[in-house]
Amino acid sequence: MIGRWLSLIAVRAALRALGRLLRVAVITALLIAAAPASVVAAIGAALAWLRGWQPARLYRAALWCLPMVAVWLAATAIASRSASVLAAAPYHAWLSLWHGAHPASPADIAAIAPVAIPAGLAAGGLAWAYRIRSMSTGTAGLSPDAVVSFDLRQWRHQARSARARIAAPGAIPLTTRDGSLAAGAVIRAVNHPGGPIASIPYPRMRSHQVVIGTTGTGKTTLLLRLWAGFMATALRRHAAGQGRLPLLVVLDCKGGADARRIADRARRALRLAGARSTAIWPDEASLSLWALPPAQLITTLVDLIEHGTGAAAFYADVMEAVVALAVEAPGGPPASAADFLARLDAGWLSAAYSSGGHEADLALIRSAARQAGDIGLRFRTLMRRLGGGLDGPGGFGDADAWYCILEGTAEISVAEAQARAIVDILATYATAGSQDREILLAVDEFGAVSRRLPVWQLYERARSLGLAVQVSAQSWESLAAGEDERYRIAATADGGIWLLRTPRPEPVAALAGTRTVTETTRHLTGRTPVWTHRGTSRLRRDPVVDPARIRSLDVGQAAYIYRGGVTYIQVKRLVTAPAAVTPAVTAPPPAQPATPQQRRTAPAPARARRRLPDASSLLDEAFGAEPAP
Amino acid sequence: MCVGPPHSAADQHRTADGLPGRDTAGLLFAAEMYGVQLDQLAALLGVGEARARAVAARWRGQRCAESARLGPGGLWTWVTRTGLATCGLPYTAAPPALGRLAHIRAVTAVRLALEAAPGYVAGGGYWRSERRLRARMGGRVGLRQHIPDGEVHWPDGAPVPWAGECWAIEAELTPKTTSRTVAIMRELLARTGDYGCPAAEVRAAGPPRHARVIYVCAPAARPTVARAREALGSSGARIEIRLLPPGAAMPAPARYTAARARPGAAISRAATPPSHRGAAS
Repeated sequence: MIGRWLSLIAVRAALRALGRLLRVAVITALLIAAAPASVVAAIGAALAWLRGWQPARLYRAALWCLPMVAVWLAATAIASRSASVLAAAPYHAWLSLWHGAHPASPADIAAIAPVAIPAGLAAGGLAWAYRIRSMSTGTAGLSPDAVVSFDLRQWRHQARSARARIAAPGAIPLTTRDGSLAAGAVIRAVNHPGGPIASIPYPRMRSHQVVIGTTGTGKTTLLLRLWAGFMATALRRHAAGQGRLPLLVVLDCKGGADARRIADRARRALRLAGARSTAIWPDEASLSLWALPPAQLITTLVDLIEHGTGAAAFYADVMEAVVALAVEAPGGPPASAADFLARLDAGWLSAAYSSGGHEADLALIRSAARQAGDIGLRFRTLMRRLGGGLDGPGGFGDADAWYCILEGTAEISVAEAQARAIVDILATYATAGSQDREILLAVDEFGAVSRRLPVWQLYERARSLGLAVQVSAQSWESLAAGEDERYRIAATADGGIWLLRTPRPEPVAALAGTRTVTETTRHLTGRTPVWTHRGTSRLRRDPVVDPARIRSLDVGQAAYIYRGGVTYIQVKRLVTAPAAVTPAVTAPPPAQPATPQQRRTAPAPARARRRLPDASSLLDEAFGAEPAP
Repeated sequence: MCVGPPHSAADQHRTADGLPGRDTAGLLFAAEMYGVQLDQLAALLGVGEARARAVAARWRGQRCAESARLGPGGLWTWVTRTGLATCGLPYTAAPPALGRLAHIRAVTAVRLALEAAPGYVAGGGYWRSERRLRARMGGRVGLRQHIPDGEVHWPDGAPVPWAGECWAIEAELTPKTTSRTVAIMRELLARTGDYGCPAAEVRAAGPPRHARVIYVCAPAARPTVARAREALGSSGARIEIRLLPPGAAMPAPARYTAARARPGAAISRAATPPSHRGAAS
């Protein structure tokens, strides 16, 4: 009985082995029989594995071969003039390959190629898709960790291909033909359409964006690319009559020599993108705080001074009253810091409001006379620390791009005040109505000024102002002071989030959401345990953005998160012209305070930019006056 | 020897009279502008057309120039290889291209009008022609490089406010697309290096080469140029637009003139002068 049972087991095992052998033999025979196509399929699948391609690329290649098939069929039809011969042509070509001379002659190979290449590519694509699918679901591989190894290997292959793509000169233009910004080469896309070039539609640059990445991860390279792309695309759209002129305003809140080097790089990159002028504030250009409308000027000036709560609120109210009196004096608003400081004096204010009809103001001046000196002292200190960069002349309309350097590392409170003032000037410029510009405000190292720069308030009304805000920081923690504000900034970034290597990407990665993946368990069997191909599968939700992947990103790699998907990108570095020699900066002479009477008749402040002398006299002599439009 | 210093006292006297000295200037002018039409040559020399015809005949006799009726209007005169060698100009001798006659005439009219202005003389302006710029490029004019129809250089220290500037001159007869015009304007305004300079200096850091660009347009081209200037934003302040001076257009051929003279006669496309159809700056 035992002998029979053992022999039965042996027979069953032998039959099973025979069946497997037969199956392998049949498959091998089929592959050999279809040799031209199977060779192409093997080459295609191997290339896809080596380059990290998606199967769709092989399918597309197969489709591109169809014209060749059509030409071959047409030629055969013309030569044979018989439908049956045409239908049998692939078979005859295959037959002549096997029955002809060995090794096969080039003519035989050429005869079968029009059919074998597309068929092989399609088969290779199917085989590669099956492999990817089985590995991602965990049903293939000798062990469960083969899935992880496969994914890591494919990531390396994909990253290598992306690096090769961006290395080719001219491979990644600033803008694509459809008017999108090209950021670099796609490494991998999840829930996003794939493709060789990572392009961002221009409207997303007109929405808010967040960029997070630690120092040395290629954040500046990415930002320069985005700024130059914005400028080039917007100028192109404007020239085509599809948009307004762009204005890029960068607040570099880090400061120091490094910021100046980046400013020079930005200027050269923007010049390549078509920007005619890039003003570097405060080194080479200035803005005028005093050009703000009086009501806004009062708010901004009061907000520039830090004041506490409780009893200190009383001083805040007195300060606001005195500042309002100084700004709204009958002679008109102040034209410079010196002019404003001169007004913070009870005597000056009394003289200015003494012309009659200002009894209430005079009473206010008398009651605030004791504090006016202290207020003047505080503002004098503030203006000295702010420097001459906000004392004009100049405005955002004077250049295509402004690079504002704030000394956020050396003097945080000064940088905060400067950022606040510049953003107020920009918001006023955007709301002026006559300024028809598409504005991108980029705040680099936002954490340095986030305490007093309510950039999220701009978010609320930015769209109606034609203003997009791009905030960048080194980490999630440095994005803003509080967790609420961080989430508010990140969650409203409807233009997408750029994530470079950062130590704690989890909060941002979570914003991308989850996706459904198949998880498969594998059974162990035998005395020496091996994993069988038996097990169970189930669906589970996985994060779209893997935080571990973000932590391991190389320099120049970025993840672009948008609408529940992510595209990993190898950012293309901009190659700019040689560095410019920075001209020596000469400080303008301090302005003298103006009396109220002088202010009434004073002309508008002259622009800092050198204006061209008027040559219309010569041109009028030669050609007559400029024709009316 | 076709044109040279006066040989005798009589020549000296004739120089004071105007002709031989003006001959030199006229020949140089014709060489720089590819060629010149008779009425413009007369305007340049400050003489009548009959006298200008005689001057051209003398140049031909000295093998310095050739003349022919290339299009509507008067004779065209261009400088031969001998004439160019005499002038010391390294250009290739060729008659003006038929397709560019209207444009050459327009640019010549612009130059004549500008050089006749008292401010030009007072400022000591110097016209650098397109032919000279192309010669400096040495055949390296890429598809993406636009060469202006001329440059005007103002010496430093000249008694004009724009002393030291370099202007680019563009004559526009027919409207291009706005985007193309914007691109040309942007290129001219952004250029920093001289024509024929190394590629790295074409757009390097530093002041732009052309302080301003003067567009002298036909009425048909003016709206496009104006739109393009608007599109440039603040940089557009460096663009000046004027209309071409009277007489800058090619004279209409007789058939065209006759068709226009008939009241109610439809002017067919075939009757339109070729210079008005095909010419573009």
